[in-house]
Amino acid sequence: MLASATPQTAPAGEESPLDVGWTGAVPSAAVAPVDDELTCHACGQGRIVDGYCDHCGTPPPNPRDHLVESPTSWVGGVCDIGRRHARNEDAMSLSAAEAPGSRAVLVVCDGVSMATDSHIASLAAAKAARAVLDQPFPKGAGTPDAWAAGAGRALTGAVARANEAVAAAVVEDVPNPPSCTFVAAVVEDDVIVAGNVGDSRVYWLPDAADEPARQLGRDDSFAQEQMAAGVPRQEAETGPHAHSITRWLGRDAPDDLTPHLTTLTATPGWLMVCSDGLWNYCSEAEALRTLLHDAAGRLEEPTPTAVAQALVDFANEQGGRDNITVALARLAGRGSSTTSEATASAAPVEGDPTDG
Amino acid sequence: MADFTAEVFQNEFLPDGGTDVHAIVRVTSTGASTATASSGTTDPGSAAEVILIDTSGSMGRRGVQAAGEAAKAALAEIVDGTLFSIVSGNGTAQIVYPYSHQGALVPMSGHTRGEANRAIEGLRANGGTAMGTWLTLARQIFETVPHVTKRHAILLTDGVNEGETPASLQAAVASCVGAFQCDCRGVGDQWRVDEVRGIASALLGTVDLIPAPEEMAAEFEAMMRASMSRGIANSELRVWVPQGAELLFVKQVSPTLEDLTSRRTVVNPLTGAYPTGAWSDESRDYHVAVRLPARTLGQEQLAARVQFSLGGDPVAQALVKAKWSNDDSLTTRIDPAVAAYTGQAELATVIQEGLAAKAAGQDDVATAKLGRAVQLADATGNDEMTTRLKKVVEIDDADTGTVRLKKSASKIDEMSLDTASTKTSRVRR
Repeated sequence: MLASATPQTAPAGEESPLDVGWTGAVPSAAVAPVDDELTCHACGQGRIVDGYCDHCGTPPPNPRDHLVESPTSWVGGVCDIGRRHARNEDAMSLSAAEAPGSRAVLVVCDGVSMATDSHIASLAAAKAARAVLDQPFPKGAGTPDAWAAGAGRALTGAVARANEAVAAAVVEDVPNPPSCTFVAAVVEDDVIVAGNVGDSRVYWLPDAADEPARQLGRDDSFAQEQMAAGVPRQEAETGPHAHSITRWLGRDAPDDLTPHLTTLTATPGWLMVCSDGLWNYCSEAEALRTLLHDAAGRLEEPTPTAVAQALVDFANEQGGRDNITVALARLAGRGSSTTSEATASAAPVEGDPTDG
Repeated sequence: MADFTAEVFQNEFLPDGGTDVHAIVRVTSTGASTATASSGTTDPGSAAEVILIDTSGSMGRRGVQAAGEAAKAALAEIVDGTLFSIVSGNGTAQIVYPYSHQGALVPMSGHTRGEANRAIEGLRANGGTAMGTWLTLARQIFETVPHVTKRHAILLTDGVNEGETPASLQAAVASCVGAFQCDCRGVGDQWRVDEVRGIASALLGTVDLIPAPEEMAAEFEAMMRASMSRGIANSELRVWVPQGAELLFVKQVSPTLEDLTSRRTVVNPLTGAYPTGAWSDESRDYHVAVRLPARTLGQEQLAARVQFSLGGDPVAQALVKAKWSNDDSLTTRIDPAVAAYTGQAELATVIQEGLAAKAAGQDDVATAKLGRAVQLADATGNDEMTTRLKKVVEIDDADTGTVRLKKSASKIDEMSLDTASTKTSRVRR
């Protein structure tokens, strides 16, 4: 019930399940507007009594099933249950300053569905990481390398905090502790730093056709390992264990959680952070760029949130087999696209030579 | 003041494309008992009792005398203030007590109990058996007190209904539905279980066998004490199902099996009401089955809202849910209570069908049905039913249900198996 939800006050990771699901009133694109919260969304005829419509028996939509965030005009995202899962175990947490390109944080975590309460854990992780990344990065000596090193340390710290939040999300000793992936992108004055653990992704989709679209970082997955061994992407990503991830956050996480880090100076384009619920249906960066441009072209006002919703709709139309999260930042860029591999001094960074 | 609770036992998860939801709803009442005969009186006019005694010729002197003693034992249990009447039945029915100038019913007191006891002494065995006329007279007696909500009768018979057609018995029973509740007892082995069960079932009562006349008094005393302890009348079970759903059945499954499906009265287009009779402090289980149009995976729907209502006001409710899932570990589980009662319902059916086939001389059908009964009773650990079955069949292999009909089986053993078939053992949670 909407009336029972309260604004979240508990520290990250200690929220009640009711708390963490609450993101404010959620407008849903698929549903007709209704007079009041007690009228059934599904049939429009009944009233909600004891949590179900007294005409068609449908419960009101769970706010956790469809989250929308639009922190500013240039950043927005949609996190959706999809069509085949009983629960939305994806989570998203976004923040942005008013001035376009000045500062934004986009975090997405994809809860592992076979574990207990992963929907709580993933949201706790996303919020904990965002709280860390909301702090401006140290300028250091003022050089790009110093900035990149500071950004890398901040992302590594965010992963650590997110990991603690996942572990704290449920009582100890559950047989199947929750776990999730982690992916974050931070924009600071049109420079992007991206980091991931698991198979949720950051894509850089520049407007200029002559600049290649690409994934920043790489998956920690069986499919990625196969591709590294020479198996073609299409085959690897549809194979029997394609969705097995090799690193994740949670009580049973591997020791090394250093994220795959990439920094990049933006040109005009779209920065996308997404879960596999989207890229399952469109994995190649170039294809994704085309898909996004087509979707944006059909919109009267292609705001980041509207474009994200259009891509979520696309994934649902393809079957919506998994939860779907798409977060976008629209960047005007500041000229040339120069990229460099981040080097965090706190820990040895696992480089990504194909991205360098 | 009585309190009611309702709990639901079910597996709410349905597989992709799944449509049928089964649930057991347990309704429990506390504080529903009224004072017993030994303490206090009841408000005159809050309850009425009619005792229907078979005085047909087949009862004989000994039978009628024992029935009279049984009626006296029942009278001793009736709380002072309760309206009562005694009817003797053969080919027709007559009020034995109260005397005609007192009306059809009188309040129980020391004085009226004494008069009634003396009136019973005058009963004589004579004539045939037309139970429809007895029930009709009972209904007419209850109709003289329309303000009394708790109306209960005890019917005793020893023989097959004759002197009236089955259709006229059925019509008489139908006219009594909702007018009063009736517990029925058959004494000896000359009555027909299915015939008397039909009366008891329609009139929300129990049916049982009393093997010998001497055992009647104890049985009557127990029946009347149970009736006196029921302080709640006018109750019903209400079942709502969503638009587009089909209610497959509503059955009481404990303490006895009773299919209520056809007793539905319409509350509104989505809600039906089913009479439950009077309640004491007790627990009853109901099996509700609903067919829903399948929804997509991940969706949830309220499949049924089951309410227990008093005088039209819901006092307890249970929600039966449906959730579609692609997780086989969730969807393939059958709720233990649903499974147990489904098995007990099948057991009752095969016992009744098996005995009917045996009576009709279809030995191969009877052997197959009773074999299946042995198998079910064995598989569910229903030792009481296995013991009863053993008196009717020789068990070669309970596992496979291989049995032979016992040539020496007595009529009483078959009848006691038949009457016991609808008594279920309560599923513990």
